[in-house]
Amino acid sequence: MSEYLLEVNNLKMYFPVYGGIFRRQTGKVHAVDGLSLKIKKGETVGLVGESGCGKTTVGRAVLRLYNLSGGEVFFEGDNISGMTQGELRLLRRNMQMIFQDPFESLDARQTIGEIIEEPFIIHKIGTAKTRRDEIEKLLSRVGLSGSAVTRFPHEFSGGQRQRIGIARAIALKPKLVVCDEPVSALDVSIQSQILNLLLDLQSEMNLTYLFIAHDLSVVKHISDNIAVMYLGKIVEYTDADSVYKNPLHPYTQALISAIPVPDPSERKQKIVLHGDVPSPLSPPPGCRFHTRCPFAFGRCRSEEPELKPAPGTRDEEHLVACHLVNSGK
Amino acid sequence: MIIMRLNPLTIKKIKRFKSIRRGFYSFLLLVLMILSSFFAEMLVNSRALIVFYNGNYYFPVYESMNPGVKFGLDYDYETNYRQLQKRFKEEAKGNWVILPPVPYNPYENDLREDRFPPFPPSFAEKHYLGTDNVGRDILARLVYGFRIAIIFSLLLLLFDYGIGISLGSAMGYFGGKFDLFFQRIIEIWSNVPFLYVIIIISSIVVPSFFTLILIMAFFGWIGMTWTIRTVTYKEKAREYVLAARALGASNSRIIFRHIIPNTISVIVTYAPFAVSGGIVALTSLDYLGFGLAPPTPSWGELLQQGWIHMDSWWIGSSVIGAMTITLVTVTFVGEAVREAFDPKMYSTYE
Ligand SMILES: Nc1ncnc2c1ncn2[C@@H]1O[C@H](COP(=O)(O)OP(=O)(O)O)[C@@H](O)[C@H]1O
Ligand code: SF4
Ligand SMILES: [Mg+2]
Repeated sequence: MSEYLLEVNNLKMYFPVYGGIFRRQTGKVHAVDGLSLKIKKGETVGLVGESGCGKTTVGRAVLRLYNLSGGEVFFEGDNISGMTQGELRLLRRNMQMIFQDPFESLDARQTIGEIIEEPFIIHKIGTAKTRRDEIEKLLSRVGLSGSAVTRFPHEFSGGQRQRIGIARAIALKPKLVVCDEPVSALDVSIQSQILNLLLDLQSEMNLTYLFIAHDLSVVKHISDNIAVMYLGKIVEYTDADSVYKNPLHPYTQALISAIPVPDPSERKQKIVLHGDVPSPLSPPPGCRFHTRCPFAFGRCRSEEPELKPAPGTRDEEHLVACHLVNSGK
Repeated sequence: MIIMRLNPLTIKKIKRFKSIRRGFYSFLLLVLMILSSFFAEMLVNSRALIVFYNGNYYFPVYESMNPGVKFGLDYDYETNYRQLQKRFKEEAKGNWVILPPVPYNPYENDLREDRFPPFPPSFAEKHYLGTDNVGRDILARLVYGFRIAIIFSLLLLLFDYGIGISLGSAMGYFGGKFDLFFQRIIEIWSNVPFLYVIIIISSIVVPSFFTLILIMAFFGWIGMTWTIRTVTYKEKAREYVLAARALGASNSRIIFRHIIPNTISVIVTYAPFAVSGGIVALTSLDYLGFGLAPPTPSWGELLQQGWIHMDSWWIGSSVIGAMTITLVTVTFVGEAVREAFDPKMYSTYE
């Protein structure tokens, strides 16, 4: 069996766009366009990029909540990219998701007890009595009181709801959890509580995380490796330290320089990005970042850079997709 | 035992409904009207409620037919309790009869020797709203006609909801070719001239109560189906549905456990308007003579009589009054339900 819990090869996810009076397909959103990623068991990979770059789509596609437009997804070595939704249903207890919006992702008509019991019912686990005990344990594990069972989502704060979402996701002891910006809808004051909860759960249950964020500072502490995404593609992939100390891709450098530093003397030159993110409906040819890259040159506009090991690095520990970096200049 | 726990959102909606006075009182009135129409036999009937005769009690309302001889009369057909009451009084032997408040059934012709019907309202004769042009008590026909119309509308609602909810949620949820196929069917269906079809069918066979419901449901499912399709389509795209899918929930679990409970306010809101629609439809068909076979008590038929016998003002005004009261109460209820369930989207009629 492969050492990777999750392996994604050349994943493509296009959404058709309809327009005109005949509602014909007029184009497609290239939400994810040739993305490869590997996650080892017990590891956390952070996926970072501006909003709209396709992070959520990656998370949902690897869980096969979508039918893929292209590429392959291997879970524990099994190719799940061609499986039907029916075949996937049993597998789902091993791969779960925590959603960005804790208000939208809980059914407002169910009690907290019903919400957390649902995974057990779906996978026919336990009796009503054992489930009740499990629910109580899960609630206390995520820091909620047992009295929550009979209450409804709207009676809870955002942070508490996110705890409920976490309890539901870990209920069946999954192997992989996709965390889709689990704290970005929350108050800064409770973000770290939730992040710590996720870290504790990971070490207790040996969970593997694909952790999505639009902000590098959030994934910094939680990730082993970080993938930086721009317009449906990974532009840089390396361990969490190197992203900060030695960012190579101009886009990563821009993201890093946007993080406020506590000590002003440490301040490096700030890279300010101009212009808007191009539309994923018609991504620019060549390097997708060339419309905003301060270092863009002729080749960038015509030839797409490959994601490959940066010069002077070993194996696959630091991958970059940039002509400038890869040509060693 | 499972005690149904009402969602606090639902409780809030019910509270809001109660706070809309006009709608809430209309609702109480409507419930009272419906319940009392179910016990109409005890309120409006030619049979007596209680007969006390030679030391025995009789309850003719829910008994089989009592021939006149049973009470010492000289005939074998059904006892005329109004005459029996008078006779017992005259005899003064301690026998007595209690009649319902309106001592007429909707079928009997209360004819007089010296006059021709329709008779105007008369408290002495207990024809509180008069009689129609064949001497039948109008109040009796209104009450029984109401019962038929309301049962008709509720059954029709059941049919329409059954088809509408199952087909509509399937269309909205599965989408794709299935949805497209039924969209086309609905387009074709809604272009069939519904009234003509009913008129054609009714001129070949006289429809019974159930065939009329079936014919109406044959066309009535479209509205509900379309509404449920639309809301399902919207709900399906919401994240809690995706969350259920991510857990491995089956399609039927998602539809029945998540989507339908979340569209319940649409389903409830639609109901009062469907009921008034059903009443109006049955009345119009009866009015045109394509509805239920005579002598079924019917508002449409009374309306027609009122139209023909304009000078007998009590016929037309009774039925118009009854229709107005019913439709206005149903509309007030519907409006309040809508307001209580979805205060953002609608405002009340001013
Ligand atoms: N179901 C969908 N249908 C059409 N377009 C979509 C759909 N989901 C996402 N997109 C588009 O794909 C792009 C990436 O979206 P998303 O993955 O949500 O980005 P992120 O999570 O990084 O903000 C966006 O342009 C978005 O509009
Ligand atoms: S390939 Fe060119 S445009 Fe793209 S990031 Fe590198 S230098 Fe900039
Ligand atoms: Mg997102």
